[in-house]
Amino acid sequence: MSNEKITITVNGKRYDKEVEPRRLLSDFIRDDLRLTGTHVGCEHGVCGSCTVLMNGKSVRSCLTFAVMADGAEIMTIEGLGTAENMHPLQKGFWEKHGLQCGFCTPGMLMTAVELLKEKPRPSVDEIREALSGNLCRCTGYQTIVESIQRGAEIMQGGK
Amino acid sequence: MTTTRFHAPERLDEAIRLLAADDEARPLAGGQTLVAMLNADLLSPSQIISLHRIAALKGIEKRSDGSVRIGAMTTHAGLARSDVLRDGHRLLAQAAGRIGHEAIRNRGTIGGAVAHGDPSADYPPALVALDAVIEAVGPKGKREIPASDFFQGFLTTALGQGEIVAAIILPPSLNQARTHYEKFARVEGDFATVSVAVALWRGGVRIALGGVGPVPVRSAEAEAELQAGQLSDAAINDAGALLVAASDPLDDVRGSADYRRRLIPRLVKRAIRAAQAKDAR
Ligand SMILES: Cc1cc2nc3c(=O)[nH]c(=O)nc-3n(C[C@H](O)[C@H](O)[C@H](O)COP(=O)(O)OP(=O)(O)OC[C@H]3O[C@@H](n4cnc5c(N)ncnc54)[C@H](O)[C@@H]3O)c2cc1C
Ligand code: FES
Ligand code: FES
Repeated sequence: MSNEKITITVNGKRYDKEVEPRRLLSDFIRDDLRLTGTHVGCEHGVCGSCTVLMNGKSVRSCLTFAVMADGAEIMTIEGLGTAENMHPLQKGFWEKHGLQCGFCTPGMLMTAVELLKEKPRPSVDEIREALSGNLCRCTGYQTIVESIQRGAEIMQGGK
Repeated sequence: MTTTRFHAPERLDEAIRLLAADDEARPLAGGQTLVAMLNADLLSPSQIISLHRIAALKGIEKRSDGSVRIGAMTTHAGLARSDVLRDGHRLLAQAAGRIGHEAIRNRGTIGGAVAHGDPSADYPPALVALDAVIEAVGPKGKREIPASDFFQGFLTTALGQGEIVAAIILPPSLNQARTHYEKFARVEGDFATVSVAVALWRGGVRIALGGVGPVPVRSAEAEAELQAGQLSDAAINDAGALLVAASDPLDDVRGSADYRRRLIPRLVKRAIRAAQAKDAR
């Protein structure tokens, strides 16, 4: 087996690791780095729960080999905020009950981070379109949409 | 898991050499199809040859003759936002923007999508309507294949062993056309149930349908009818019926064959009227 040496920065911390070529970025993040906030639902790109940011852009970590992220900066849910110091979107989800079981939530949040970077005041339709690749089995989506609207409001300086 | 070797050459000829020497080797572009297939154990390549370091496969360039050359590794997101694609060529940007979701568009590439040859995908009908050319490079050198000859069947293309898609070329002529891409899918981000790509210009009409046959569907009779009938409602109705006759849809999760046949005339009309509404050139 020929392993590849990679250097990846995850949530600001640099890692030098060896990986098998077919190691998925999702497995690398969860099992090698023990950052288990990134969830894995389907492993074929459909559910969105594994979404992370790679060089600032959303990607499916289940459809990306860790070797392809060599030299990249990754941000996972652990890098977004902490329980004491939540990101505005996390506050939005907290206030508007944007989660139930929480399985889809990390992917929803990382997708929403990218959306708000491009569209700081998205319409409901734009939020729904951006979330079209993220499945939630619990909430019915309504509270997630409201949470993202609320997160956007907080980011705009609203209380 | 099987042992797979990984290469990420910087030179195109090196990638071709590696691929040509081993028919169990696979090129990797954005991985949005290939990695999903590997995860599902549908393939077990001996080697993965990633194309992401090869400069010759990158970039979108307008050439002096007005044609546009799109490197195979251009992502769907990059194409959707490109301001090199103007006027009639916007059709391709429109199709790119309708592929999957943002996270898929951020990684997936036009070269990978075209090489995969899925008839329900968004690029094949768009490229056929734009009379695009696929630039393929292989052990025997470079050749240019018209999109209408490139797609040969379900997941089957004109690419030979060791040959890869290097670029997509949009000819200058259809830049003058008014174009539109109309996609009907069950939900945002799904593959098309039916899609329609249309280009209208003073000298003619080109229409290609996705999702209703093993390759993009055209009908010369329908296009002649539209041209002769000057895009009247009656001509569009006749053309819709001719395109239904030319199609060969299947029943699948995205709709029955019958449902697809009913969609075709309506979507064709919608696409033509939307193209007409764009600025004339
Ligand atoms: C959730 C989801 C939704 C999607 N929705 C849509 C949709 O609505 N419409 C749509 O059109 N597509 C859709 N797709 C597919 C998407 O467009 C893929 O990005 C595309 O099919 C493959 O491009 P890639 O760069 O990821 O290629 P890869 O997955 O890397 O490769 C695909 C295949 O092509 C080969 N290959 C790659 N590059 C080349 C090359 N340059 N020359 C020769 N062979 C090559 C590979 O060996 C492999 O066999 C979706 C995918 C997912 C996961
Ligand atoms: S686990 Fe990656 S999209 Fe479902
Ligand atoms: S909260 Fe349970 S899947 Fe979304």
